[in-house]
Amino acid sequence: MPITRLSLFNRIWAIMMKDGICEFRTRYAVSALLMFALISLASISMAIGAARLPEDLTAALLWILLFFCAMAGLSRVFVQEQESGTILALQIYGSGQAVLFGKLLFNTFMLLTLTVLIIPLFIVFLNIEIYHWSIFLLVLILGDIGIAAASTVTAAMVAKTQGKHALFTVMTFPILLPQFLSSISTTAKILMNVKPDVSDIMFMAAYNVVLMIASSILFDYLWYD
Amino acid sequence: MYRDISVNLVDVSKKIGTRYLFTGINLVINAGQCLAITGPNGSGKSTLLKIIAGLNQPTTGAIQIISNNKQLDAEERRGSLGLISPEIILYADLTGYENILFFTRLCGIECNQQMIEEYCRRVGLANDKEQLVRTYSTGMRQRLKFALMLAIQPGLWLLDEPSSNLDADGKKLIAQMIGRGLEQNATIIIATNEPWEAEHADYKIELV
Amino acid sequence: MRIVLSLWIMSVIYAVLYIVPPAEGLGNLVRIAFFHIPVAWVSVLAFLLSAGWSVQYLRTRDIQYDWKSSAAASLGLLFCLLATISGAIFAKLTWGAYWNWDPRQTSIFILLLIYGAYLVLRSSIQEEKDRAKVSAVYALLSFLTVPFLVFIIPRFYFSLHPEPVINSAGKLEMDMIMIYVLLAAVGACTALFWQCFSYMVQNKQKSF
Repeated sequence: MPITRLSLFNRIWAIMMKDGICEFRTRYAVSALLMFALISLASISMAIGAARLPEDLTAALLWILLFFCAMAGLSRVFVQEQESGTILALQIYGSGQAVLFGKLLFNTFMLLTLTVLIIPLFIVFLNIEIYHWSIFLLVLILGDIGIAAASTVTAAMVAKTQGKHALFTVMTFPILLPQFLSSISTTAKILMNVKPDVSDIMFMAAYNVVLMIASSILFDYLWYD
Repeated sequence: MYRDISVNLVDVSKKIGTRYLFTGINLVINAGQCLAITGPNGSGKSTLLKIIAGLNQPTTGAIQIISNNKQLDAEERRGSLGLISPEIILYADLTGYENILFFTRLCGIECNQQMIEEYCRRVGLANDKEQLVRTYSTGMRQRLKFALMLAIQPGLWLLDEPSSNLDADGKKLIAQMIGRGLEQNATIIIATNEPWEAEHADYKIELV
Repeated sequence: MRIVLSLWIMSVIYAVLYIVPPAEGLGNLVRIAFFHIPVAWVSVLAFLLSAGWSVQYLRTRDIQYDWKSSAAASLGLLFCLLATISGAIFAKLTWGAYWNWDPRQTSIFILLLIYGAYLVLRSSIQEEKDRAKVSAVYALLSFLTVPFLVFIIPRFYFSLHPEPVINSAGKLEMDMIMIYVLLAAVGACTALFWQCFSYMVQNKQKSF
């Protein structure tokens, strides 16, 4: 027998790469997400014209934009598998933990890519100034991981339902709310040139860790019938 | 040689809506044995296979998949059983080669390039393995599923209408594969209406 | 049992309307609190119960726990709506605005969102076992956010809401009569909830 057992990390990586290759070949999600982000951002900018928004409002807009972009595209990791029928093969051969974390990694990667593309546009369109770049990036990364973690597990839940997309947003929002509120307040502080407390960052990190542990425990119940 | 796997069905029944598809199926199939499930359309052949695969829950009863006197849990079943069914769909945006590479890795098996090429050659896909599965005909997709089965080498094969969409050559190929699998100690369960496929069987269940 | 409960509820209503003295600063408005506090308590209790039964369901896969979880959540939504509305009216009469994102209002609104999402989720899955499984997982996942919200919300919104009945100093700042009536009202409301709940679960069991 030619079998060398691969570690969990290798299996997670295989799933992420598979999703990455399929996405790269079709470019469906990336282009839809990017256009969605561009339109939302442009509509905000057009609506306010040259007026300068207060910092807390700008921070809220940024996270609302990221949240709705995520809602437009991140459910695809499971919905696409369900709709094309490939989920059955994945369920037979893939272990729950590998699938969850593979998809989570892919979603995080997608959202980070999107953030990297949005942030320069956001700065240009809304004429804002970032004071603490390193902390700002840290907040963006933590916030993106949180959105990706919450939406990956809810995506697995909505895959079998009817009216997937509307339900996806409705279900993800309450779970994401603590992270969402603290991302906004921390970003607002950064835009106001106030250094956020360590506790703000710790809160976001702790939320991500707890959410991932809980998803990891609960996902097995979803995955194995 | 394949891994020793026996399947134990204990009083399995399935109710869909208000109708029982089947009730009280009790059966033990040991390694190297073959079971054929026959019956008309809608009699629950595919459902029974999916229940054995763990994709569906029986209404009553239990399925035990046993390897070396130890019952496998849901996690351990991954990689020890393989399912070929019209409901299994492979990734259309990956090539045949990439599909095999992905699924073997998912099962935790490292396959090198020569091995995958060898499996593709054996099912007659040597020239098409670099094409996207999107461009495959249904018969080619069925062959790819068999290549995948060879690559993963599960001890338990669940085959749902294995020769559907295959030409005469393909049918001969899978008959050979099933025969060789049984020689090498695989446990095989076939849901079929083709008499020649049921010929391999040590046991038969007829669903009505 | 039902007669006892209706008598109990009627005597609580009588006590609230005729025995409780108008409170200092709030006047007769305080009577709304005897409705508001019990329904708010029940809506939180229902959420806890629903999450508890979800754990039970996932552990045992006994569909009865799913019925319980679902019945508790449906009633929870109803009580949560009543608490939100009575709270908003109370807020309008005392603070001058129906809604001002007070921490308590925010919390109860989030509870409302969770209940709403849970019930919409249930209604959009046809297969009974899938529905039970997915909604149990969702109930638990949303339950997880509660401690974070308790931590984060008070940092965001300034509160006008009165201190809980037993405040941080551990001192009771209420008239003894009021406390007894309030406890009786909470008891009546919980009993009413339990009565409706048992009725819903029994109905389910009969139709099974």
